[in-house]
Amino acid sequence: MTVRLLLDLADAVGRVADGRTVKVPVETDDGAALAARWCEKTGHTFLTWRGDHVELRRGRTAEPTDEIPAAEWPARRLWLYANFDCNLACSYCCVSSSPRTPRRELGLELVRQIVAQAPAVGARELYVTGGEPFLLPDIADVLRACADVLPTTVLTNAMLFRRLRLAALESLPRDGVTLQISLDSATADLHDRQRGAGSHARALAGIATALDLGFRVRIAATLDGGQGAEERDLHELCDRLGIPLTDRLIRRIAMEGSATTGLVITRESLVPEICLTADGVYWHPVGATDPTMLVTTQLLPLSQAVDAVVLEYQGYRRRHDEVALSFPCA
Amino acid sequence: MDELVIGAVAYTANVVPIWEGIRDYFRDSPVPIDFVLFSNYERQVDALVDGQVDLAWNTNVAYVRTVRRTDGSCRALAMRDTDLTFQTLFVARAGSGIAGLPDLRGRRVALGSRDSAQARILPAYYLQEAGLEARDVTVLPFDSDVGKHGDTGRSELDALRAVLDDEADVAAMGVTTWAGLQAGDLAPGALEVVWTSPEYCHCNFTALDTLDPAISEPWVEHLLAMDWDNPAHRPILEMEGLRRWVRPELAGYESLFAAMDQPTGGAADETETEASTPR
Repeated sequence: MTVRLLLDLADAVGRVADGRTVKVPVETDDGAALAARWCEKTGHTFLTWRGDHVELRRGRTAEPTDEIPAAEWPARRLWLYANFDCNLACSYCCVSSSPRTPRRELGLELVRQIVAQAPAVGARELYVTGGEPFLLPDIADVLRACADVLPTTVLTNAMLFRRLRLAALESLPRDGVTLQISLDSATADLHDRQRGAGSHARALAGIATALDLGFRVRIAATLDGGQGAEERDLHELCDRLGIPLTDRLIRRIAMEGSATTGLVITRESLVPEICLTADGVYWHPVGATDPTMLVTTQLLPLSQAVDAVVLEYQGYRRRHDEVALSFPCA
Repeated sequence: MDELVIGAVAYTANVVPIWEGIRDYFRDSPVPIDFVLFSNYERQVDALVDGQVDLAWNTNVAYVRTVRRTDGSCRALAMRDTDLTFQTLFVARAGSGIAGLPDLRGRRVALGSRDSAQARILPAYYLQEAGLEARDVTVLPFDSDVGKHGDTGRSELDALRAVLDDEADVAAMGVTTWAGLQAGDLAPGALEVVWTSPEYCHCNFTALDTLDPAISEPWVEHLLAMDWDNPAHRPILEMEGLRRWVRPELAGYESLFAAMDQPTGGAADETETEASTPR
């Protein structure tokens, strides 16, 4: 039986191109172990044994880190949910934040530990979000701890820049901290409908404050996709505010958190952007309270979570490649 | 001439990345190339002789046929280091009691595709050289990849299956297919190599004599400069199964010329030295 299996393995991989996966019937542990050793000796990749067959890939699979393009590296943009409580209760909030939501903050000390490990796992930018991060009394310390290590963006509704919170904002380094401010429309109607009465005027005031203080401001709108006129008007407003095109972000509503409509997302359908919360590490910030998006409850060491995401994402990429190759229509 | 057009046979889907890699390697060379893929070696030889391609990446059988078709007005330009030392093995179940070709008298011999030098043409020749006539052995032919000259290795695997199924006592196979099984390490004591042929040459780049050496020689020089230690060259060399390109050694084709000059017959009476190929 042993030699027959070797023949089957050689025959199967001989029929496909490098990088393609083949299945070979194998029903025993010993057979699977033999297939794995054969792959090791002959330069192929043993993928898995599924009880009745093994799956092999012709040729060596490159290291996952080599196969993922830099722009899709799961930790390139590392997200930190500083807290989950918020002064608003937006209708589409992907993590159901509101004034009644428990704070669940990461805390300054944990942020410091995370940030210290961030460069080693390939992080190039930090994104601090919530909730509303400026509800935290020590948000300036948190953001400085981040900005000391990597370029940092804080997501805010810009409605709280008064007194101590204004002082906190003023104390932040202009070159290391960017403000990503939520603004869903050029006029109050849509924005206030989605985010709460009076929020549009205060957001505009906050944008003006941030710009006056010399911060780089990015505008982020959340729309449902059928609002072309709103988008056009918002771009015109950004033009007037001097926000460059590259600092305008228009995203769709995801069917997560408080949203009752929107795009359905899964781990397989989202390029991962590793996101740390007080509750654990999540696949993507848009699903940071979705149990199906939870990668691990263990935040540190960061490399462990990153490795897990990379391996899983690599699997999705391979499967997508295989599906793409499975349906040649001509 | 803008580009040297090279013919190759698509015996596996891997041929495409191999030739795209070689084409890229020659892109900035004195003699850039393009390539044309054929489904079988007979069409490729036709194309070379008809001048539709400038060079052909030929098996040894295709090379011999080109020499015959052109009355020798062709030349081998280069080959892989691994083409210099090709061998055919006869493999039996362990404990077969077979100690050499003469012991195959009265036995069942599984051979591969009729146009494969390593699996059919040369094994039949070796049997004949060992004094075995057609009536002395029973040949089980496996024409699994006709047109590909044994490149896929499939007919050799089929021949070995016949040994495992006790339909044959011995199977002929090329040394690379045998090495690919890793049976010696992974299934020790199951099979034994009962005879190993002398080394002979396998593939080469063949050109007609009409190709100007002022073009072919810089091309060969650039080919030979491909470097195993250069990360940009390494994947191509690995895929094509060599460490370095070398000048041809024509003595390594003498046994195949002799085998293909034989009238059909000898021990492997099923063997046709001029394969008929699907057209």
